[in-house]
Amino acid sequence: MSHVHINRKQYWQIFVALFVLTILEIAVVLVPGIAKALVIIALVGLAIVKATLVGLFYMHLIHEKRVLKLTVGIPMAMPGVYALVLVTEAAWRLVR
Amino acid sequence: MWIFLLSDALTFAGLLLAYAILRGGSARWIPEGAPILGLKFTAVLTFLLICSSVTMVLAFAAAVERDRKATVKFLCLTILGGLLFLCGQFKEYFGIEWLGHLVGGNIGEQIATGLTDEGLIFGKSHYATTFYLITSFHGAHVFSGCTYLTVIMIRTAMGKYDDGNYNHVEIVGLFWHFVDLIWILVFTFVYLIPK
Repeated sequence: MSHVHINRKQYWQIFVALFVLTILEIAVVLVPGIAKALVIIALVGLAIVKATLVGLFYMHLIHEKRVLKLTVGIPMAMPGVYALVLVTEAAWRLVR
Repeated sequence: MWIFLLSDALTFAGLLLAYAILRGGSARWIPEGAPILGLKFTAVLTFLLICSSVTMVLAFAAAVERDRKATVKFLCLTILGGLLFLCGQFKEYFGIEWLGHLVGGNIGEQIATGLTDEGLIFGKSHYATTFYLITSFHGAHVFSGCTYLTVIMIRTAMGKYDDGNYNHVEIVGLFWHFVDLIWILVFTFVYLIPK
């Protein structure tokens, strides 16, 4: 278990950040004229930022030991790396 | 709990990757006549889960400070958020007819109608099947989380953690935040990414 770090002000700041980022996500989808590729990159980026905020500050991962951070972070990143390889491969097949 | 969450995260990763592969490989993802997933309603559900995450972390803070009353209050609010989310998901799938009739008008009609009424049937297309699989699997986590939270809330109310042992509240909190974190990804990949 983590050492206890209670910071109510920070919890509310994260809440506001998550709220604003969610509105931003919806805006990115609803605002017309943005290229589809840009929309997808923005949405994935925003989702990663939101998930990281929850993991670091609400799950208190930021206060955990380095070894736990790596134990959680590396396997969590693996599907992302796999997805990146798949997307790159699909893109390569389209342009070759 | 971290080991369990990692294995669970990889299960969700498998589902989302399968979804991405199927969607990326299909010429037409949304079949003709199938409904488009509602963005605004799901955004409200997302907001509910974000709210329940903040109440969960406040419950943890209260547990650390040995404030039993505040811990129970915030755990109850977290459970309420989860239950409302589940009601929302039920409405999204099947609609709530009696509530729709009660409200009446256009809004009532929207409440009474679910995706199944609009033709999104499990097994009819990859679009429908992956949608129901991923969102219901997440919904099952919300249900489990509500049950788990209820047990911890009752034990807290009974004074089981008055000795300053807040580990149980912290662990249920980890599970609940994980459910929120997964929803952030599901919301993006299933609802937001344009067709």
